[in-house]
Amino acid sequence: MPEDVQMSEPQPAAAPAPAAAAAAAAAPPPSTLHHLKEIASVIEAGSLSKEVRRISRAVRLTVALRRRLAAGDVSAFLAFALPASGEAYARLTCLLPKEDETEMDVDATAPATQISIKQGLPEIEIYCCLLVLIFLIDQKKYDEAKSCATATIARLKTLNRRTVDVLASRLYFYYSYVHEITNSLAEIRGNLLGLHRMATLHHDELGQETLLNLLLRNYLHYNLFDQAEKLRSKAPRFEAHSNQQFCRYLFYLGKIRTIQLEYTDAKESLLQAARKAPMAARGFRIQCNKWAIIVRLLLGEIPERTVFMQKGMKEALIPYFELTNAVRIGDLELFRAVADKFASTFSADRTHNLIVRLRHNVIRTGLRNISLSYSRISLADIAKKLRLVSADPVADAESIVSKAIRDGAIDATIDHSNGWMVSKETGDVYSTNEPQAAFNSRIAFCLNMHNEAVKAMRFPPNSHKEKESAEKRRERLQQEEELAKHMAEEDDDDF
Amino acid sequence: MDPKLVEVTQLFARFKAAYARNDLDVCANLLSQLKVLLTKFPSLPPSFQQTPNAVEELTTARDIYEHAVVLSVKMEDQDAFERDFCQLKPYYMDTCGIIPPSPEEYPILGLNLLRLLVQNRIAEFHTELELLPAKALENLCIKHAVELEQSFMEGAYNRVLTARQAVPHETYVYFMDLLAKTVRDEIAGCSEKGYDFLSISDAKQMFMFSSDQELQQYIAEEHPEWDVKNGSVFFQKVKESQPCKEIPAAPVITQTLGYARELERIV
Repeated sequence: MPEDVQMSEPQPAAAPAPAAAAAAAAAPPPSTLHHLKEIASVIEAGSLSKEVRRISRAVRLTVALRRRLAAGDVSAFLAFALPASGEAYARLTCLLPKEDETEMDVDATAPATQISIKQGLPEIEIYCCLLVLIFLIDQKKYDEAKSCATATIARLKTLNRRTVDVLASRLYFYYSYVHEITNSLAEIRGNLLGLHRMATLHHDELGQETLLNLLLRNYLHYNLFDQAEKLRSKAPRFEAHSNQQFCRYLFYLGKIRTIQLEYTDAKESLLQAARKAPMAARGFRIQCNKWAIIVRLLLGEIPERTVFMQKGMKEALIPYFELTNAVRIGDLELFRAVADKFASTFSADRTHNLIVRLRHNVIRTGLRNISLSYSRISLADIAKKLRLVSADPVADAESIVSKAIRDGAIDATIDHSNGWMVSKETGDVYSTNEPQAAFNSRIAFCLNMHNEAVKAMRFPPNSHKEKESAEKRRERLQQEEELAKHMAEEDDDDF
Repeated sequence: MDPKLVEVTQLFARFKAAYARNDLDVCANLLSQLKVLLTKFPSLPPSFQQTPNAVEELTTARDIYEHAVVLSVKMEDQDAFERDFCQLKPYYMDTCGIIPPSPEEYPILGLNLLRLLVQNRIAEFHTELELLPAKALENLCIKHAVELEQSFMEGAYNRVLTARQAVPHETYVYFMDLLAKTVRDEIAGCSEKGYDFLSISDAKQMFMFSSDQELQQYIAEEHPEWDVKNGSVFFQKVKESQPCKEIPAAPVITQTLGYARELERIV
């Protein structure tokens, strides 16, 4: 590990970072290049002090800059950050489009304090690669982006430093993303598996997390649910490092479980993913909600109306709203009409097969409504009401009813010789101990909640510390905001 | 031509001849020899090396495994079916760009779906189904299996049984017969809950037995708890919990004392 030796060298250049930040705050709107230089110094500081936190901050700052990046800025930054004679510089600059470089001259006269960084740090090199990759993707130069990503991944394999891990995990993401756009995800699967193994051996948990998600996404892209589940169940698990990655993981997990008919678990994962995702990640939350709605319908629940009325999702959820309505009423005809009407949406969401599964739930709901409204009804009438279409609807209705009775969906008996179904009287629930038990469990819940709340309370020891914590809170809030923006950015890419 | 490929082709020709004669033992024997020979081709999965003979080798290998799957159905060996199908699957999933799709692909995939249904492996059934493109669902063989699953889930069992008459492929009959047995067990389970009693003639018809003896024997073997008397089958109902007339004093007292203690802590 030659890099580690380099890292332990004493380095006085770490100091300019805070000074530069202060200067930048005072100056009129600083140029993009200046921002980039600041980010570079943050990375340098992070690299030298081995603080991973700073590097992730640098990545977040970059995402904020993303929309403003111009070719001139990027190439000027490369010239600034990389040794001109280096192999990386030559490789990256030739990928960039040649444009007029007037902007660069403007930057040279900008009022920025001179930031200088030590050249040749691997973090800076990888950061430059990441920057170029993001830039190329934004410029829709996918072939160049692919070659840039592939070369960088090859370089990453030779590095083993914890401070690079954050950058690496972002690189993996874009590496997979550019292949997804160009529809060549299958090609990189072996490579991703190799990287995942490498990350595991290096104890790079963030990398493992990211790569596992990318692999799951890769498998699910081709509907390879079996492989995805096998990988997921065998991959090492640990506490999540990144909220975004955890959300994604939950979403993929929910999808796998839905396909494998584990609806209760699937519902839990999908709802958790939707809740944990930041408000800004609209596309992601819509996807989670769509799947969660279907899973709840499959479970025989009817999602509340508020689910469909969430801000910014109303339009996207309309097909699912109408579907829910059809299931709620238990009208097979309406269900069929909705399924046909939105067939293209459902197949684009790849939920078509799940909707086919719902037919059975529609029948169940219809049957439950009938059983509640009639104390006795002939099987022929049931067949007519459910609009069963087949050669022998009465026999169909009979076996459907008997299966519903066995599964506990309705409480009734069938009289075969007379050909009717007799619903059982719903017994008086207040003559049993049921209400007492329900009352008890609710009280227990409330008391428990109260006790938990008391335990969770913290009181500030003195006013001095309190002031400090307020500042800290502000900082934390600001960081959270950054994170949310960051997540939104990613999810724009995803969906 | 490559001597190994010639050998395999010749052996396969002998296999096909035996297959046409319906000489299953000879077939099984030749098949295991063929499988050993196939391991020597580097172009086959999982290595997929680009050799000059790759196309012929892949096509031959796929053909051999397709025959193997059908043979396992003829020999009524479900384990062998699963093994052979797993070996065949990569040829369908991963060779799209190299060799043209096989005409047998959908019948065999449909057969596999049916097998999963018979073995009541519904989760795997749906996992396999997701792998199929939209146009595959239009195929008669696949559609057959999908509709069967739906009817099965709904409980429309007689639709499952009538589907037996309309099998899209002769190999399906074996699994359809097995399915009939699964269906009978399901019907028995449902009837037990759904009816108080059934006349013997109705039960016979419903369980698809041709004679009363068969029905009696089935009841004796599978459901000895059912009563047959006065020309009817009576199902033993689980007695429902009677409405409780007494107040369970002790638990109520402990609960109430518990509330009092908690309230005291809060106030």
